[in-house]
Amino acid sequence: MGSLFRSETMCLAQLFLQSGTAYECLSALGEKGLVQFRDLNQNVSSFQRKFVGEVKRCEELERILAYLVQEINRADIPLPEGETSPPAPPLKQVLEMQEQLQKLEVELREVTKNKEKLRKNLLELIEYTHMLRVTKTFVKRNVEFEPTYEEFPPLENDSLLDYSCMQRLGAKLGFVSGLINQGKVEAFEKMLWRVCKGYTIVTYAELDEPLEDPETGEVIKWYVFLISFWGEQIGHKVKKICDCYHCHVYPYPNTAEERKEIQEGLNTRIQDLYTVLHKTEDYLRQVLCKAAESVYSHVIQVKKMKAIYHMLNMCSFDVTNKCLIAEVWCPEADLHDLRRALEQGSRESGATIPSFMNTIPTKETPPTLIRTNKFTEGFQNIVDAYGVGSYREVNPALFTIITFPFLFAVMFGDFGHGFVMFLFALLLVLNENHPRLNQSQEIMRMFFNGRYILLLMGLFSVYTGLIYNDCFSKSVNLFGSGWNVSAMYSSSHAPAEHRKMVLWNDTIVRHSRVLQLDPSVPGVFQGPYPLGIDPIWNLATNRLTFLNSFKMKMSVILGIIHMTFGVILGIFNHLHFRKKFNIYLVSVPELLFMLCIFGYLIFMIVYKWLVYSAETSRVAPSILIEFINMFLFPASETNGLYSGQEHVQRLLLVVTALSVPVLFLGKPLFLLWLHNGRSCFGVSRSGYTLIRKDSEEEVSLLGSQDIEEGNNRMEDGCREMTCEEFNFGEILMTQVIHSIEYCLGCISNTASYLRLWALSLAHAQLSDVLWTMLVRVGLRVDTTYGVLLLLPVIALFAVLTIFILLIMEGLSAFLHAIRLHWVEFQNKFYVGAGTKFVPFSFRLLSSKFSDDVA
Amino acid sequence: MLEGAEFYFNVDHGYLEGLVRGCKASLLTQQDYINLVQCETLEDVKIHLQTTDYGNFLANQTNPLTVSKIDTEMRKKLCREFEYFRNHSLEPLSTFFTYMTCSYMIDNVILLMNGALQKKSVKEILVKCHPLGRFTEMEAVNIAETPSDLFNAVLVETALAPFFQDCMSENTLDELNIELLRNKLYKSYLEAFYKFCKNHGDVTAEIMCPILEFEADRRAFIITLNSFGTELSKDDRETLYPTCGKLYPEGLRLLAQAEDFEQMRRVADHYGVYKPLFEAVGDGSGGKTLEDVFYEREVQMNVLAFNRQFHYGVFYAYTKLKEQEMRNIVWIAECISQRHRTKINSYIPIV
Repeated sequence: MGSLFRSETMCLAQLFLQSGTAYECLSALGEKGLVQFRDLNQNVSSFQRKFVGEVKRCEELERILAYLVQEINRADIPLPEGETSPPAPPLKQVLEMQEQLQKLEVELREVTKNKEKLRKNLLELIEYTHMLRVTKTFVKRNVEFEPTYEEFPPLENDSLLDYSCMQRLGAKLGFVSGLINQGKVEAFEKMLWRVCKGYTIVTYAELDEPLEDPETGEVIKWYVFLISFWGEQIGHKVKKICDCYHCHVYPYPNTAEERKEIQEGLNTRIQDLYTVLHKTEDYLRQVLCKAAESVYSHVIQVKKMKAIYHMLNMCSFDVTNKCLIAEVWCPEADLHDLRRALEQGSRESGATIPSFMNTIPTKETPPTLIRTNKFTEGFQNIVDAYGVGSYREVNPALFTIITFPFLFAVMFGDFGHGFVMFLFALLLVLNENHPRLNQSQEIMRMFFNGRYILLLMGLFSVYTGLIYNDCFSKSVNLFGSGWNVSAMYSSSHAPAEHRKMVLWNDTIVRHSRVLQLDPSVPGVFQGPYPLGIDPIWNLATNRLTFLNSFKMKMSVILGIIHMTFGVILGIFNHLHFRKKFNIYLVSVPELLFMLCIFGYLIFMIVYKWLVYSAETSRVAPSILIEFINMFLFPASETNGLYSGQEHVQRLLLVVTALSVPVLFLGKPLFLLWLHNGRSCFGVSRSGYTLIRKDSEEEVSLLGSQDIEEGNNRMEDGCREMTCEEFNFGEILMTQVIHSIEYCLGCISNTASYLRLWALSLAHAQLSDVLWTMLVRVGLRVDTTYGVLLLLPVIALFAVLTIFILLIMEGLSAFLHAIRLHWVEFQNKFYVGAGTKFVPFSFRLLSSKFSDDVA
Repeated sequence: MLEGAEFYFNVDHGYLEGLVRGCKASLLTQQDYINLVQCETLEDVKIHLQTTDYGNFLANQTNPLTVSKIDTEMRKKLCREFEYFRNHSLEPLSTFFTYMTCSYMIDNVILLMNGALQKKSVKEILVKCHPLGRFTEMEAVNIAETPSDLFNAVLVETALAPFFQDCMSENTLDELNIELLRNKLYKSYLEAFYKFCKNHGDVTAEIMCPILEFEADRRAFIITLNSFGTELSKDDRETLYPTCGKLYPEGLRLLAQAEDFEQMRRVADHYGVYKPLFEAVGDGSGGKTLEDVFYEREVQMNVLAFNRQFHYGVFYAYTKLKEQEMRNIVWIAECISQRHRTKINSYIPIV
C-alpha cells in the first residue's frame, strides 16, 4: 500500500561531521529538509553550548538588519522580496558580510544622526522665525496699551515719580519668549502664576501652522508665548519653569532693528540648511536604496545561519574534538539523499576527510512521518488533530478521505446545497495559486486549507441528495414516479376484483381528507424508482414516517459497517507489530461480539426488506421486538422472520457470551504464560524461542531446570529491553478496562451513529421550513405584484440558505462527522500516541519581513 | 462599598486581573535563578533572559552591555505593563493605581531635590528617576526653597498634594529636612492608602491592609535604625512613624525611646510577626541583614496575595514582586560584572 497507509520507516542515524565541514553539511541538509535532530546536550543550559558565540554573532547581524529594514521602511523605499531563497552563506563570506553590514550601519547611523541634527536645527530656526513674527504683534499691542496707562487719572498725580520708577525697573525688565506644546499651556500658565505670584505678564497666541515635535516626531499645534517680568530672581524661576515644561526658548530681541536683523539672518540660514538637508536626504536615500537590494537575501541568509548553529548546538563532540556527532531521525527512503547531501557539503567545503553517517539500531520510538500532498493534507490534519499516529500504525487518514465526506453527506443530503458547496470549493481549487488566497485572513484561510475536503463533501452531498431526492427541500421528478394514482379508482379495474381490494370512487375521493395508495392493487405500484426516493413521497402526509424509518436503518447499517471496518484495521496493526495473539485474543472476539449482535440486526433489516412484499407486509414482524426477544427468550412463541430463527439466535448469543470472557482474560493470561515461558529460557537459550511456539510440552519440561539459571541471566535481558517490566495486574486491568469500554461502546456507539439520521432529518426539515416560510409565500401573491415581492424574497432565501443551511448546518454536520471518526471509528484501532517528525528544514523558516520587524 | 466582590468584580476588573495573573506566571523561576547565577558574563545573562518572558528586550542594545542598561530596560518593561493596566482600569481601581504610583513620585521628588542641593543638573537626575513615578511638574521642584513653597508652587495639583498637610514649614530644605520631608510624606501617604483600602472593604481590604501594615512597621523600624547616632530628637522621630501598622500605638512609643539595636529587638519581641524576623537577622559578619529579612517577608506576603481572587492586591503584589525580581537580576548582574561571586547567592528568591 501507499505511504499514506502507514507512516514511513525511520532509522536513527549518527552523523560524523568533520568540524571544518559541519556547517556546510548542515546547510545542505537544511535545504533538503531530510532529518530531525535530537538534542544531545539537553542538560547544558543555552549559554554554555558550543556555538553560542556564533549564535550571538547572528543575533548581532539580525539586529543590524532589523535596523536597516526599519530605516528603509521609514524612507518608504520598497523592499524587493526575492523568489528564490539564497543558500546559507559560506563561512568565509560571513565575516565579509558582517563587516559590510557593520560598516553600513555605522555609516547609516552617522548620516541619520546628521540628518536629524540638521532637521532639528532647521526646525528651531523655523520656530524662531515664527516666534519673531508672532511676538511682533504682542509688542505692538503693548505700545498701544501704554497711553491708556498714562491717561489713568490717579497715576497722573505723581507721574514723574512713576516714570522714574519705571525707568529704574525697566533696567531689569526682562523677556522670555518661546514656543510651548499646546496641551501644556494651561498648566504652564498656572504654575507661572503660582510661583511668581503674579509678577509676570504672559501673552500667548496660537501658531497657525502645526510644527513637528523634535523629540517624538509628531506634528502638533504650538503656542507662542512672551513673558515679561521684573527682577533677576523671578527670571531664574521663569526659566526653570520653562525647562520643566520643555518649552523651546529663544532670545527675544529688544529693538525693532535687532529683530529685523535676526529675521534676515535666519532666512538666509534656513535657505542654506534646506539645501544641505536636501543633499543629505538624497545621499541617505541612495545608501538605503543600495542596501534594500540585498537586505532580503541577507535576512534569509542570517536566519539560515542561525538555524544551522542552533542545530550544531545539539551535537556532541567526540573525544578528539575533531568531529561533531549528531544523532538524527531520517526516513529510510531518504537515506540515500542524506548521504548525497553530506557528500555535497563536504565537497563544497573542500574537506579532505568527508563527513559520513551510519545507522544505529535503537529501541526508542521514532517520530511519525506521513508524506502528504495538497489533496491528502487536509484529511491528515483531521486525524492529526486527534493525535499524531504512533510509529508505523495504520493511518486512518487514508480511509477518512472517503468516509469523512460520505458521513458528512449523509447528514447534509441535499443536492442543491451540495452543488453550491461543490462550486465554492471548485472555485478555491481552481484558483489555488492565486496569491491573495494564500495570504488571506484566518477564516478564509480555514476554508482554503480545507478546499479539497469541501470539494469532496460537496460531491458526496450531491450524491446523497439524489438518493434522498432533495433539492432545496423539493423532490425532483427525473424518471417519472413509479406510482400510479389512477389505478386506485374502481373504474379502472374489472368488477370481479372489487371485492378483494379497497378502491376509490368519487364519493370517497370527495369526502375523505387523506387517501391511501395501496401498492397491492395491481397497477398502482409499477416498480421502484430508478435512483433514490420516489418523488411522489413529497406529496404524502406520512412522508416523514417513511423517511425516518429508512434513514434510521440506514444510519445503523452504515455505523456498524464503519465500526467493523475499524476493528478489521486493528487486525492489520496486530499483524504488522507481530502480535498475532492479539488477533485471536482481542480482534476476533471483538468482531464476533459486534457481528453476532449488531451484524445480525443488519441481517434482519435486510432480510425483511427482501422477503416481505406489499402483499405480505401486514404479517411482517417488528424487528425491534424480534431483537429484544433474542435476549429475553419469551415464553410465547412469535412467528419469527424465518424458520429455525430461535436456534440461530441461541447460537449467536452463545458465541457472544463466549467471546466476552476471552476478551477479558485471554490476552493477560496468554502474556502471563508467555512471560513465564520466556523467563525460563533466558538469553542463553534463545535458540529455543523458535521451537517454543510449536511444542508446549518441551516448554514445561525445560522450564523447571531453567528457573535457576534464569535469575542471573535476567539482568542481561533487562538491559537490552529497556521497556516493559512485566506486571500482570496492570495488564489485566488495562485489558479489563479496554474490554468493558468496547462492549459498552458497541451499544452506545451504534446509538451514536443515529446522529446521521437526526442531523439529516434536521437539515431536511430546516430547508423545508425555509421554503414554506419564504418562497411559497412569495409565489402565492398574485401575478401583478408578485414579481416585485419575489425579488427580495428570493434574495432573502439565498442569504438564509447560505448562512443557515450551508455554513451553520454544514459546520454542525462537519463537527459530527469529525466526532464519528475520532470517537466511534478511531478508538477501535488507533492509538495516536506518536510524535510528529519535524525535519530541520529551511523551508519552515518564514521568509517574510513582517515577522522579523516585529 | 458592597460586600461580595465575586458578584461584580469581574464586570469591571476581570480582564485586568486575568492579565496580571498571567504576568505573574512569567516571573523567573528558581531554575532560572540557578541558571542566571552560573553565568560568566553579562552577555550570558542576556542570552538566558531571552529564554524567559523577558524575550529579546535587550536585542536593540548596542554593545557593550552594562548593568544599568539592563536595569533601565527592565524598568521600561515594567512601566509598559503598568501603564497598560492603568490605561485599562476603571474606578476605583484607577485610584488604587494612583496610590501605587505615589510612593515612586515621593522618591522622585526627594531625589530631585537632593540633586538640586548638590548642584547637579536636572537632566542627570531625571535618568535615575523611577519611570513609574514620573509627572510633568517633577522637573520644577528645584524652584522651591521651603516645603510650603514646594507644595504651593509645584505639587499642589499632583496626586501628592493631600499628603502635604503635616509638613508645611518654612524651614529651608537642607539634607536633613529633605529626609524628614520624605518620611512625613511617606507617613501620610501610607496612612491615606491604608484608609483607602480599609474603606474599600471586602477582599481588597483583607489582603492589602496586612501588606500596608507591614510596610508601615517596616518604615518605623528602618527610621529608628537610621536615626541612631543622628541629631534627630526622639519626639521628632515619633512624628515620622506611620500610624497604620500593627506597632501603633504602644510599639511606636517604645520604638521612639529605643537607643540601640538591642532595644529595638526587644520591642519587636512583643510582636509575634516581627519576633521571628529579628531572630533571623545575622550578626555583623555574614548572615542576613534586617533589610533582606524584611524583603523576604514582603515577597512572601505578596505571593500569598495571589491566593485570593477578586481584589486589587494582586496588582500591588505583582508590581512589588516584579521590582524584587529586578533587584535580584541587578544584584546578580552586578556580582557578575564586578567579579564578586561570593555573594551572588544572596538574592531574594520569589517562591
